[in-house]
Amino acid sequence: MFPTNHKTIFVLDHTPYFGISSDFPIEFDVSKSRGPGYVPLPPVCKSLWTCSVEAAVEYCRIVWDLFPEGKLIRFVVSDSAAHLLNTWTEAQQNLTHILNGLCLVGPVRRGAGGDVVGLCAAIEALGEPSPNQSSRPTTERLFQNRGRIICITSARDDDSIRSLAEIALNALVQQNKKLSMVPPTTSADATANTQSLVVHYCHLVIVNVTPEKIETRVNNQPLTEMGGGLMGVEVIVSRASALANLLGRLVLPHYKLATTTVTGIPMKEEQNASSSANYDVEIIHSLEAHAGLRAAQTAAEALESVVLRWWTPRGAEGGASGCSGPLWRVTPADVASRPSACLVNFLLNGRSVTLEVPRKGGGRSASHVLAAQGGELWIGALGGRTPYDDPPALSEGAGGRITDYRIKEFGSVMQQNKLLPLRGAGANGRARARLQRHTTYWPLTISSTIIFNLGPVVEPLSRLVVQETLSEAEVEACRGVLLSLLGMESRHESPAAPLPSNVRVKWCGRREDQWRQVWGELEALVRAHAASPAHRALLRTLLEQNRDNNIKKKLNIIQCSGESRASVIRATTDSPLSPVGAGGGAAGSSAGAGDVWAPRNALEALLGAPRPPRRPDFAGRMAAGNRIATLYSTFARCRSTALVFYM
Amino acid sequence: MPTAILLDVSLSMTRPVPTSDTTESITRLTIASAAINTFLDYLSVHAKLEYVALITFSSTYEVTVPFTRDYDSIKAKLGHLEEGDKTCIETALAGVNQIILGEWGYQTLVQTILITDGTCGVGAIGRNRIIQALPLPPSFPSKIHILPIVSPHESCLQHAMPLYQKIVDLASSTVNNSTGSINRGAIYCPDQLSVAAVVTAMTKLCEQQYQEFWCTLKCGQLETKVQLFPAPQPASHEGLAATYTISNQIHVVGFLQQQDLGTPIAISKHLIIPQPQSNNNNNKENFGSKTPTKEGSSSETSTTDEDNTDPSKVPNFCVLLHGALKVEGMAAIVQLGPEWWGTVSAWCEASRARRSCLLLAVLRPGASAAPWLGPLDQLGPADESTPAETFPVRSWRSYSSAGSACAWARPHALLADVQKVLRHARKLPDKTQHLYKELNRLRRAAISLGFSELLTSVGGALERECAALPSSAPPECALQLAHAAAALRDPRTALDIKHTLQPLATNFTVTSMSH
Repeated sequence: MFPTNHKTIFVLDHTPYFGISSDFPIEFDVSKSRGPGYVPLPPVCKSLWTCSVEAAVEYCRIVWDLFPEGKLIRFVVSDSAAHLLNTWTEAQQNLTHILNGLCLVGPVRRGAGGDVVGLCAAIEALGEPSPNQSSRPTTERLFQNRGRIICITSARDDDSIRSLAEIALNALVQQNKKLSMVPPTTSADATANTQSLVVHYCHLVIVNVTPEKIETRVNNQPLTEMGGGLMGVEVIVSRASALANLLGRLVLPHYKLATTTVTGIPMKEEQNASSSANYDVEIIHSLEAHAGLRAAQTAAEALESVVLRWWTPRGAEGGASGCSGPLWRVTPADVASRPSACLVNFLLNGRSVTLEVPRKGGGRSASHVLAAQGGELWIGALGGRTPYDDPPALSEGAGGRITDYRIKEFGSVMQQNKLLPLRGAGANGRARARLQRHTTYWPLTISSTIIFNLGPVVEPLSRLVVQETLSEAEVEACRGVLLSLLGMESRHESPAAPLPSNVRVKWCGRREDQWRQVWGELEALVRAHAASPAHRALLRTLLEQNRDNNIKKKLNIIQCSGESRASVIRATTDSPLSPVGAGGGAAGSSAGAGDVWAPRNALEALLGAPRPPRRPDFAGRMAAGNRIATLYSTFARCRSTALVFYM
Repeated sequence: MPTAILLDVSLSMTRPVPTSDTTESITRLTIASAAINTFLDYLSVHAKLEYVALITFSSTYEVTVPFTRDYDSIKAKLGHLEEGDKTCIETALAGVNQIILGEWGYQTLVQTILITDGTCGVGAIGRNRIIQALPLPPSFPSKIHILPIVSPHESCLQHAMPLYQKIVDLASSTVNNSTGSINRGAIYCPDQLSVAAVVTAMTKLCEQQYQEFWCTLKCGQLETKVQLFPAPQPASHEGLAATYTISNQIHVVGFLQQQDLGTPIAISKHLIIPQPQSNNNNNKENFGSKTPTKEGSSSETSTTDEDNTDPSKVPNFCVLLHGALKVEGMAAIVQLGPEWWGTVSAWCEASRARRSCLLLAVLRPGASAAPWLGPLDQLGPADESTPAETFPVRSWRSYSSAGSACAWARPHALLADVQKVLRHARKLPDKTQHLYKELNRLRRAAISLGFSELLTSVGGALERECAALPSSAPPECALQLAHAAAALRDPRTALDIKHTLQPLATNFTVTSMSH
């Protein structure tokens, strides 16, 4: 659950001995001799302290670059007392915090003391739960609390190293014993989250640092178990100058990392931009990224850097999307070198690059891709078949033969439901609620709707009605839409009249049927959104308008003794439905939901008898859409609709 | 997930099986063939897209049929298998590992069905030696199921059982733990040694291991039933106790431009295959997709019956979503379960540009699967009131932060920084500000590393530059260099991090500017 590398503690020796020089001179005055009398500067030597600090900081940089969370490192500086530079909290897990702390500690001062204080403090710190660990509910506290202590010190001989390890083990045993003495009842307390944990395993790495020329009587010791598996001790001897390299190598097994050398990167020098030279850059990433390459390799080979050749990108390549598998973070091994910086900048500017396995026999095979996303660098492995390749064609599956999906409209729904990074909880929920509103009444195909094909005539209404609330002005705008539609209908125009003829869709049925569908859809649309008072007001308007419209139309028709209508009117007189009854029916529909789907205007009612060359469709089926209609579904709810069936 | 059928064709498999029916001679191999036929028949109904290979083994192994979706080609081969010599499981498994790695890489879960005769061919010592030498776990995620064609009471099975158990256990404990799967393989022993019993065992294997995965893809009120292929495996996440299983409702949360989305860290990818809508779920949820007035015109009612019989003519949300995602170049973020997200995008294989489909990428559980999108649970709709951040959400770590002069572990980095200071020092008075800026940077790094030797040394270098100034140089240069050198070595302030070196405010600056 929590691997050993979840918690790492550096114990840095800050005793006077570490103030001595590493005896590894660094020449930094390499500028060409500038004439006689020019005295070159003496080379400078780092102290042991400087060497150990920079090595430890480099270790941290690699870890935190690759694992932004979940891999915690703490620093303990040990002289006469133990100085804890940071805690396990996320905010203190960064280089800036550590470096500030180191500034305050300052260079080595005179005084007594040694590593023992720091080591004991480190073991105590291992017992403190990390934020991840303390966020576990107390009932699930059965995880293993493991950690690693890297102690950079300098000891006289093997014996003193051994006694150091024994002191650490003792401290660990004592601490665990003390914790087990605490009655378990306290674990139920609210304070339990800050309570120390038993340390189940501690990997103690003792790095013995010496200056360049001094003989040491400490020897390397491979990992040995102490205290019955409670502690694993490893001793490594290193020259101060080689310490950074040593820790840079140690970090690989500690975090299951591997290195890749990207070879043959063409770069131009600033001075002579005409020619380019090839450079190599070493990068560090998860070992898993090499899994495919390692299949046939031995364990010894796995420790070496894999050499992959730069495959100069041509044009716009797919970037990381080419890999079907996971991606891993990447960090350069030598962050300060110019080729590294150049490669990092190249990637951060949005380019990606493919890497290939160099082959002697020619033939290329792309193996990995390097790309930046969100300001971080990633490596992904390419290749391998995917189990989902050669997919079945969508056009042969369900819904594949339909060609008039409202793709463009759904595109705009998607644009309106674009996600953005917000702060605070509930953002996902709000997004889903919004999507819910936007799709409440949403026919999938063009041929199944009229109102959404009417373009600018209906657009203000269909756009506004999906909002959570409507303002006064917006309700007015929607009313405007309804009025203009009414106007069109009363002028006996086709609903599609304002559209250019090329976008008109073939709608079946007569104009009256089309208008009937328009009003039906509008009512369904508005009714589906009738959540806020403003929406309900809009719905009321729509229903009233429908009713008034019907009455008016009927009156119109009755009064109008027009030539073409004469036969219609004659037929009307035979209609069993009186005008008043039809009006009442429409008003009733606002109360019962049953006949929403069959809003009828007076015209239709008047035309009812002579119209059908076939029988009118069963109202229940209209309501059911393309599903099986249930009989008498509304019978119990609204008796008045039963009348409709018999008409 | 592809399947490798590993069929034992050793001599012992050709032993006849005693039956009451004497007209037909049944061997263990014919029983195995029947089992494989059952398996393939099951797949052709439930998982047509599954790739299957037939590998036969005895003391050597041979790819009889490479990975294919053409199951008939495997069936055709079953009748013409050559018998080999001796069962040698470890060689066969090593061979299968090679074949699978070569073909599928190391990220695809591959299931192996080992059909053998229930003997390991060696004694107890030999068996233990085989267990030691098993080439497991493979470097790719895998599951091994074992179907021994043997009567359950035979002693050889009891003898071989520890080996089988070890194979099944080891196969799932993959070294590549990024796609941590907790489902293990299993051993399916038939009740008795007969065709019927083995077929029953095989059917049980199919039903347990090759279940198709159905779920509902919901986008607000729009929804459709879909199949995910390959069936998603439960994911367990390092550092978290919980195991994640995809719920049977996938909710679209919203949409993103494809280039904003990038390539999040997916643990697996699955085809989303739309399924015909069942007609009898006329509940209120489906209100939206119900097109109320579709049959308003009576001319369409006649086609409705046809629509119901041909699912390809019933509008399906998946097809619409695919089209719109493709046209807009967007991807959908979907919620797969609590604290678990995925992305749906239109995907098209490079080699088959015209055949495009919906692909679900299952992200690593947790809100941080795509750091450049910010925490996934905080993705929300654009709102006028809140100031909108944009993608990508920048990580607060940057690769240059480490370059703030603390990476001096390699001498060339230190050299470069010191040279920079000296370059500025030679270009005074123009570069006075730059010189002090670099000096302060150098100081800061040196103090945090406890590298006071460096400061002394740089002070010396500045003094030398001062001495080497040509006589024509303005007097301000010498003053500034001397001032900086002194400040670097001032015992009171040199190692005080709060102290910042300031350029010497001289009257010369004023007069020289007035010239």
